[in-house]
Amino acid sequence: MEIKHTALAGTLESSDIQFTLSKGTGVEINLDSQVEKQFGNQIRKVITDLLKDYDITDVNVRAVDKGALDCTIKARLIAAIQRATDTQNQPNWEVLG
Amino acid sequence: MDTTTLNLQDPYYYQQWKGLIQSEGLFIESLDDITETLGIYEGDQLIATGSYYENVLKYLAIAPDFQGGNTFNKLVSTLINELATQNIFHIFVFTKPQYQQSFKYLGFKVVAQTEYSTLLETGDYSIDQYIASLPKVSGQNISAIVMNANPFTLGHRYLIEQASKVSDYVYVFVVSQDASLFKTSERMELIKAGIKDLTNVKVVNGGQYMVSFVTFPAYFIKSRADVATYQTKLDAEVFKRIANGLHINKRFVGSEPYSPTTEIYNQSMESVLPPEVDLEILDRKAIGSDIISATKVRQAIEKEDLTTVQKYVPETTFTFIKNNLQTLLRRINDGN
Repeated sequence: MEIKHTALAGTLESSDIQFTLSKGTGVEINLDSQVEKQFGNQIRKVITDLLKDYDITDVNVRAVDKGALDCTIKARLIAAIQRATDTQNQPNWEVLG
Repeated sequence: MDTTTLNLQDPYYYQQWKGLIQSEGLFIESLDDITETLGIYEGDQLIATGSYYENVLKYLAIAPDFQGGNTFNKLVSTLINELATQNIFHIFVFTKPQYQQSFKYLGFKVVAQTEYSTLLETGDYSIDQYIASLPKVSGQNISAIVMNANPFTLGHRYLIEQASKVSDYVYVFVVSQDASLFKTSERMELIKAGIKDLTNVKVVNGGQYMVSFVTFPAYFIKSRADVATYQTKLDAEVFKRIANGLHINKRFVGSEPYSPTTEIYNQSMESVLPPEVDLEILDRKAIGSDIISATKVRQAIEKEDLTTVQKYVPETTFTFIKNNLQTLLRRINDGN
């Protein structure tokens, strides 16, 4: 799927994560997290796996993490992806299921 | 905690807002430079507020009991989300150096800083992307000129010519602000048309990083006289960062004998730019004792006095003005 425009999802409050997706070449992930050392790789894995499920190969991902759990990361990233690809009304059941 | 939009035209909300802003030591400049204001309430008490103007966050204040916690994150986050609904994702904030770290925790990056203030940004664009988007040149002497060129005159031409003679390459940064009589695209085209013969000049858009700080928050500076110093120093720091990225080692400016603001600006640049970047102030071109200025050209346009216009501008600019005189006059009437 193609990123059509910049989109944002999530907040900067505790236990949440804020994603900003924009057009890019290749997958570039820019992660800001206070738990980068302990969980940076795990957070990146959740992000890259989900992008793969959505077949997104070109995107700039900015993530500002405030200690989100994996399920929160997924939920916020799905929202950002659907907004950035203009598919809010077409949930991807295969990914969600 | 409830988040809501504050209507500052309503005296009830205005009093609450003003109380919080002033108790946090901020100075209310003018309500005209606020697009929208948000407030966070705890019961009946306004505990936090933040506003924005276009893509600049301003007037952020939090009641003492709620500082240092999640309230700040909630406030900034709410503002960012509000701007996102308007498709604004690249966001700036000016703040005091002591609050810099709080913004960095929220993913903001420092664009430039001085001892008095910091400019940070976040979102889908950054100063590094801006620098990367500019054409790169190589040489020993790379210079820069920043101009509004509203419109391009023989005076601008003279300035670029002087720089071109002593430099391997010259970057001309055009202030990007459609508040001018001539649109940014028109100003850029007129510069390019007027310097076609100078092959070592690159005309580029100054983006949001060159002197476009109309939105500069004079509000957190108590003394009015200091405002220009704070603003120009920060501006010079931003320029220096761009200059480093492009290996620019000289900046040319035209003298402005009658403007105290420009005098302060030049002093700030003198104190910030060297040794990496030399500052050279050139006397402005005059016809006899009549200094050429874009202001005079705009005044002549308003009076439909094409003879005077022709005196100050190159042929290319003159042709454009002649062909678009009605459009320009309409903009003057609409704008003022």
